[in-house]
Amino acid sequence: MKHLPRIDSKFIVIALSVLVLLYFIVFPMLILIYDSFVVDGAINFSNYKAVYSQNVNWKALVNTVELSLLVMIASVIITFPMAWLIGRTDLPWKRTFRTILVGSYMIPPYVGAIAWVQMLNPSVGYLNELFKFIFHLSAAPFNIYSIGGLAWVLTLFYSPFAFITISRAMEKMDPTLEEAARVAGASPLRTLWDVTLPLMAPSIVAGGLLVFIAAGSAFGIPAIVGMPGNIEVMTTRIVTFVYMGDDKGIRDATALAVSLMIIANGLLFFMSWLLSRKDYTTISGKSTRPNMVELGKFKHLAFAIVAGYAFVAVILPIGSVVMTSFIKSMSKGLELTNFGIDPWIPVITSAQYMESIGRSLVYGVIAACIGTVLSVFVAYLSVKTNITGRSLPDLLVVLGGSTPSIVIALALIITFSGNYGLNIYSTMWILIVGYLVKYMTMSVRTVAASLSQVHISLEEAALNSGASWLRTCKDIIIPLVMPSIVAGWFLIFMPSFYELTMSNLLYGADTKTIGVLLYELQTYADTQNASVLSVIILVIVLAGNLILNKITKGAVSI
Amino acid sequence: MSQVSIEHVYKRFGKVTAVGDFNLQVADGEFVSLLGPSGCGKTTTLRMVAGFERTTEGKITIGEKVVNNHEDGTFVPPEKRDIGMVFQSYAVWPHMTVFQNVEYPLKIQKVDKAERDKKVQNILDMVHLGEYGERYPNQLSGGQQQRVALARALVANPSLLLLDEPLSNLDAKLRESMRFEISALQKRLGITVIYVTHDQSEAMTMSDRIVVMSAGVVQQIGKPYDIYTKPANKMVADFIGLVNFLPGVVKGDRAFLEGTEVSFANDKNLTGNVTIAVRPENIKLSKTGGIVQGTMKHRFYLGDSVDYRVQVGDKHVIRVIIKGIQYGTFADGEPVYLDFDKVMLFNRE
Ligand SMILES: Nc1ncnc2c1ncn2[C@@H]1O[C@H](COP(=O)(O)OP(=O)(O)O)[C@@H](O)[C@H]1O
Ligand SMILES: [Mg+2]
Repeated sequence: MKHLPRIDSKFIVIALSVLVLLYFIVFPMLILIYDSFVVDGAINFSNYKAVYSQNVNWKALVNTVELSLLVMIASVIITFPMAWLIGRTDLPWKRTFRTILVGSYMIPPYVGAIAWVQMLNPSVGYLNELFKFIFHLSAAPFNIYSIGGLAWVLTLFYSPFAFITISRAMEKMDPTLEEAARVAGASPLRTLWDVTLPLMAPSIVAGGLLVFIAAGSAFGIPAIVGMPGNIEVMTTRIVTFVYMGDDKGIRDATALAVSLMIIANGLLFFMSWLLSRKDYTTISGKSTRPNMVELGKFKHLAFAIVAGYAFVAVILPIGSVVMTSFIKSMSKGLELTNFGIDPWIPVITSAQYMESIGRSLVYGVIAACIGTVLSVFVAYLSVKTNITGRSLPDLLVVLGGSTPSIVIALALIITFSGNYGLNIYSTMWILIVGYLVKYMTMSVRTVAASLSQVHISLEEAALNSGASWLRTCKDIIIPLVMPSIVAGWFLIFMPSFYELTMSNLLYGADTKTIGVLLYELQTYADTQNASVLSVIILVIVLAGNLILNKITKGAVSI
Repeated sequence: MSQVSIEHVYKRFGKVTAVGDFNLQVADGEFVSLLGPSGCGKTTTLRMVAGFERTTEGKITIGEKVVNNHEDGTFVPPEKRDIGMVFQSYAVWPHMTVFQNVEYPLKIQKVDKAERDKKVQNILDMVHLGEYGERYPNQLSGGQQQRVALARALVANPSLLLLDEPLSNLDAKLRESMRFEISALQKRLGITVIYVTHDQSEAMTMSDRIVVMSAGVVQQIGKPYDIYTKPANKMVADFIGLVNFLPGVVKGDRAFLEGTEVSFANDKNLTGNVTIAVRPENIKLSKTGGIVQGTMKHRFYLGDSVDYRVQVGDKHVIRVIIKGIQYGTFADGEPVYLDFDKVMLFNRE
């Protein structure tokens, strides 16, 4: 019975983490669902009927589905050809383009929304002014505050999900499958059509669904771009109801939130089923370097298109906020004398602003530290043990990560404001719990991937030499997977730092985060301070990513 | 007339020369193997013939058609080269049935349906997959998938078949039977083949001629028998079969085993320091007499033969393989005599 204590410590740790996860992830969601269906003590749909009989809510649902579909289709149409051009042809500068397109994923979407409002608002948008000047127009050609404008910004900032999914699948696909078509007589385009496209179909659908879910769950972009034009979506309706502050508002919000959750989680479930189907897996030998299709006379055209897209999607919005942050007076034109660091002074010297930044950094760090420890246990459990139910914690974490932020926030409000014991409402802890529920999944994935590379024999050797399980973790396992743990830390820290959707519902008088502050500034039409803060966020996120890149040697990035 | 002609072909990847000054003429219906250790440039050469890489320098002709000539920029893409190719990873399309896979090249050529069906069924029968047309590749074993790949490569009657280590993902038994199957098919169809492998017995059994490569450079081109018995240099002798290398010095028309009076005919007219090479199976062991004396060091019983190590002097351990001899004939530590047959001489460096 010498090794009984080892099993005990393992079991306790595992039981604890399962309990914590159940309490903070599953319990609030169950309460949310319960609240949405139970009216005056009886289970029924009256709540849903009431909510959806209001035209504005029904319209929001329709808008959400329509917009998400539009954004999904546009994203796939844009990113599949680009993934192919970058992964399979002799397109010049393709590594740079890949970095830019993948990297655009790290720009907080609301910063992108702010930038596009600056460029395409109908009254003074930079690009609208430019087009008016070039083409001698009397009125602005574009109005960002429209369904089209909203779809445009959503597409630019959520299509990286599709790009990343599709280009990863393309990298993993055995290139000789395509080469076999070439020797069989098929031209590069015919090969693309007959072999690449069908084989990539599951990943294309998966990437598209990710975009659909992300666009449908987005709050920042619809709030900044849609609301001024009176375009409401599910998330903005939920926020409006919660802001009403009364029980009725919350109850209406629960019905909308549960609808959104069913759509998003249902689609994700479908997607993982689709990707796990074995039909399309093939034996692939030593991977050869893929033959790069020669674009020939289309090389310059393809380059211009991809470069143009990268410019519009990434460089232009960043340029816009950076430029705006240095404009002395918005009412004057873009003359050289009107640029300076003047707008930065009030921001940097403002205690309120600086406190928000500090707060967000602190919350991000706390969430990242707690989340990393939990992630290591969860990942270890699911990859390295064979206990029954070992993948349950992992599943719970995935459930949290796949639930729309707005839904998580609402569930936390209902559950943790004292009605069920714990009351952390308007403290920093409710924010941190929210960040953990949403972002732990990325870090669990990263740690699990690296743990699965550590051979079990290393661990057994330590156990055989008499080390306890906890000691083995500390001395053998943790050091071996350290880079992935650090990566996992950043993967929680960075999105938590600039989080808006949950923070906007969960913050209290003393816990206003930088995301919320920025959103307020934008809604007060204080575009200059908003730009300065945006630039500060971008710099911090960029720095975080550079560190992450260094640590993982480019294997993981947000 | 030469079916494939590769003239002064170079391939450089940045500073790395993957293939240097490659010259080869492959005759119509000939089976030629490219053999060499991993990384020596075999795949790169094959991919240049297929059209997946451009030559950095040099010219490749298939049949009458120049497909790649760096001087005038001629380059014919793979789909216009009229070749069949079989890949190491099978590369059978998982979203198509066996029949559809094999049918694909004919579809591209717009062969009409009736003709297509006949040809596909015919070639599937030939690779013993006649009954498997409706299956999907994930319902087939590795060996069957490789036969699908072979059928697909052959169905359109290409003028040239390229194979890149097609058997290396199969288990040992299957590999051996597939060798004979591919050979037989090639003879039957009379097709020209360039076959890449790092497995010398594969190359020896199947090829009309072997091209031995090392570090991107052709070491020797010849029939299997000539490559084995008259290797052009130490590298080839070492790579093909087993060999003992011993230091020697040339004096006149004899090459002397260093530090001894034992000598061999200097038939290549070498000078100075040389390497004396002799294959383990060309050495005779005896208890009573031979040209070199040594001590039995180790014996390994291999069933059909015994693999001996004999210590000669302080520095040399010579490997001797004797077929069908009793394991107990020689004892460890016993003095033995060696006789060398078919000795080969190479320049030393
Ligand atoms: N696309 C490429 N880029 C850079 N180096 C390459 C490329 N393809 C092959 N090489 C290099 O060329 C050499 C020969 O490779 P290869 O032809 O694949 O060898 P083999 O097939 O004989 O194992 C190797 O050193 C390999 O690393
Ligand atoms: Mg190779």
